[in-house]
Amino acid sequence: MVKFLSEEWIEIGKKYILEKLDPVKDLKSITTSLLGVVEHIPPDDITMNFYLELEGGKLIHFIVNTGDTFDEKEATYEIRGNYGTYKSVLQGKMSLGIAVLKNRLKVKGSKMQALKLIKPLDGVIVSLKEITDEFED
Amino acid sequence: MTSDKAIAVEKISFKDAVEIAKKGTHCGMCRFDFLESGVCPAGRKHGFLAYWPQGRMELVQQLDSGRVKPTEKLIDIVNSCSLCGICDKQCNFTTQLRPEKVAKALKDFVDNFDKNEFQNVSEDDILRGLREIVGEEWATNDPCIIASYTMSILPSNTKLNYYIVMPENTEQVSKIIRFANKNNIPFLPRSGGTAFSAAAPTVLAKGLSLEQGIVIDLYRLRKLEIHPESCTATVGAGITMFELQKEALKNKLRALAAEAGAHVCSNIVTTGIISTWGNRYGAFADNFIDLTTVDDEGDIKKHSDWERNNPYSTEPGFTNLSLTPHNIVTEAVVKLHPIFDDEEVVLVPFDNLRDAYRLLIKLGKRGVGLSLAVLSRKYLAEFLSPTLQISKDFDYVCKNYLKLNYVVSVICNQDDKKIVEDMVDYTIDQSLMKSLILGAPRFSTLKDSEFMKILSEEEDPLNAIFAGPMRDHLEKALDPSPENVSKVFDDDLQEFFKKVYSKPEMTDIVWLHAFRILPTRMLRQQMFMGPGGAMWTGDENHYLNWIQMFSDMGDKLNVEHSLGFITPLDHGKFAYMEYDYYYDHNDPDVCDRISKIVVDSMEQSLVMGKVLTILNYLFKGIYRKEHVLYPLAEGISKEEQELFKELLETVLGEEL
Repeated sequence: MVKFLSEEWIEIGKKYILEKLDPVKDLKSITTSLLGVVEHIPPDDITMNFYLELEGGKLIHFIVNTGDTFDEKEATYEIRGNYGTYKSVLQGKMSLGIAVLKNRLKVKGSKMQALKLIKPLDGVIVSLKEITDEFED
Repeated sequence: MTSDKAIAVEKISFKDAVEIAKKGTHCGMCRFDFLESGVCPAGRKHGFLAYWPQGRMELVQQLDSGRVKPTEKLIDIVNSCSLCGICDKQCNFTTQLRPEKVAKALKDFVDNFDKNEFQNVSEDDILRGLREIVGEEWATNDPCIIASYTMSILPSNTKLNYYIVMPENTEQVSKIIRFANKNNIPFLPRSGGTAFSAAAPTVLAKGLSLEQGIVIDLYRLRKLEIHPESCTATVGAGITMFELQKEALKNKLRALAAEAGAHVCSNIVTTGIISTWGNRYGAFADNFIDLTTVDDEGDIKKHSDWERNNPYSTEPGFTNLSLTPHNIVTEAVVKLHPIFDDEEVVLVPFDNLRDAYRLLIKLGKRGVGLSLAVLSRKYLAEFLSPTLQISKDFDYVCKNYLKLNYVVSVICNQDDKKIVEDMVDYTIDQSLMKSLILGAPRFSTLKDSEFMKILSEEEDPLNAIFAGPMRDHLEKALDPSPENVSKVFDDDLQEFFKKVYSKPEMTDIVWLHAFRILPTRMLRQQMFMGPGGAMWTGDENHYLNWIQMFSDMGDKLNVEHSLGFITPLDHGKFAYMEYDYYYDHNDPDVCDRISKIVVDSMEQSLVMGKVLTILNYLFKGIYRKEHVLYPLAEGISKEEQELFKELLETVLGEEL
């Protein structure tokens, strides 16, 4: 069982992306970074974030932090939403695209650019869906 | 003649009630008093949709389908209805349906249901929390109440895993959102639900609806204050356009109003109020002085807060789609406009669209008139005709004998009237329009008459009928009177409708333009979908080709279609166009074709360029029109077209 946002989640996620995803075929040689801010995490209603960086389709960083900022790196994109929304995306109940268009996930920066990112990031999302099977109630 | 009482208690089977209910289109006209007949007392008292005629009709369908089982609440719902008949009067005016029969069948259903089989619905922690915010009475998880919101915010294919909550003020809305976030439950506000109803039978339903969670029904936010000195009104989110317009009129003022049943605040948010008065009164953020909003963290803000970031701008580009509002507008201070003593309607008839469009844009750019629009023949027929059959015959006569295909409709003062009359050869005035309303049944019977045959042989039938001696003959033939028009209604309602049609406003085209109670007749037992948007008017051919594209799609997919209206915006530099497709919302095959039209027409529009499609309009109403309409959208490239398709695939999934 790997719990969303746990250290183990990060480690297995990294391993999965590096081993299973082809940088060219699956990740379209994309170079970008993304800060995912997760709000209202139960049971104490806290905020956490994860920072993900890809270079030429290769995973460089995948880090989880508390709070809503990551001081060490400045991400190209920031996506912010509540725990329930991330849970729905990772459980496959809602696509990332529809979560953005329904304003459940807020994109900081150009929505046009962010939506262009969704397709190449699909592999990452699928990977995270594969490994994440435990959530806070 | 059958008596009122006999009709009111007429028994029909539950199956027949389902058939009536299926024809309902969630127009929401039963929720406000547009005919001075009163309004459903049960709905007014209890608020939840299940207590209104509209909701009862939906509930009957949901019970029939087995999606919902009878709960103890259902007993209360049916007992709240006294079968007073108000809903029949209102609904019959627009759709010719009889919701009271459905209510009666529902009562019979409950009476005959095994009392031990009613389900008891228990309160859970979420409901308890919501009730602490709004009070016991105003939050529910009862499946019967929830089911009544199907097709007007909830999709028809989900589990009824929802809560409905009815706050009475902005602070309660804020608390509900904070509570929802804390419990990670999605939420969506609902006002009239009419915009979603139009989308519900199509592929758009998934994107626009709430898949689970809390429906925040804003009906109880009913503040309405007119401020005559500043020509403004403070309007709560539960107030309809009709209700605002009625209060404004008492002060000799007018609001920019969309359809009568649209709720003012939500209409501002959804589309920025699309109206034929927009060229003069404005669009998008022109409509209001201030908004009170609650954001998705539950923070209450006002647009007038001087410290806040610019709330008026939005990102341009075709990917800037939004399927839900960014904020809930709980209260708006809207602008009102003076009504002049010498206002009148002038209608200029045309046989072709190009000439009508040219006149419209010329008037728009010159700033002539208060309300300006090209209306199609179909629009006129639907609006003026009391029944569906009469509208079809009305349309036939206009098309085949009169060659009356479009009118440019101008509401203006006497100075502007003179300008219009100097620009054209002939016009239709208020007096003739009154005759057409009160004589619509007779007009429709003229389709096989000698009079029409003679008229159609004229070189210019429009000239002959509107500028020549034939006009007097027509007026005589119409035999217009409230009594005659009321005869087309059911026996027991004829006396009521005679009184309705005797009221001056029912034949006053200026009043009808402002109060817009007639457009709902487009939802007469069938749905319509009205894609379109706003296009730059700098290239006449480009604009007309755009309209032709919608027409071609209707032909190709074999769906009844017609231009709805065109109205200028921003001093005639843009014009909003609605192209309508009429269809049976209970037929899955035609619903699929409508979905295809929605998607394909949007893609084609984006490729053509210089257009802001209706989907790009959605939930942009609180921004400045300058940020929404400008910069002019260039046609999208092949690469962007691919991105657009991917985007839609993401949104609509396999349903595309």
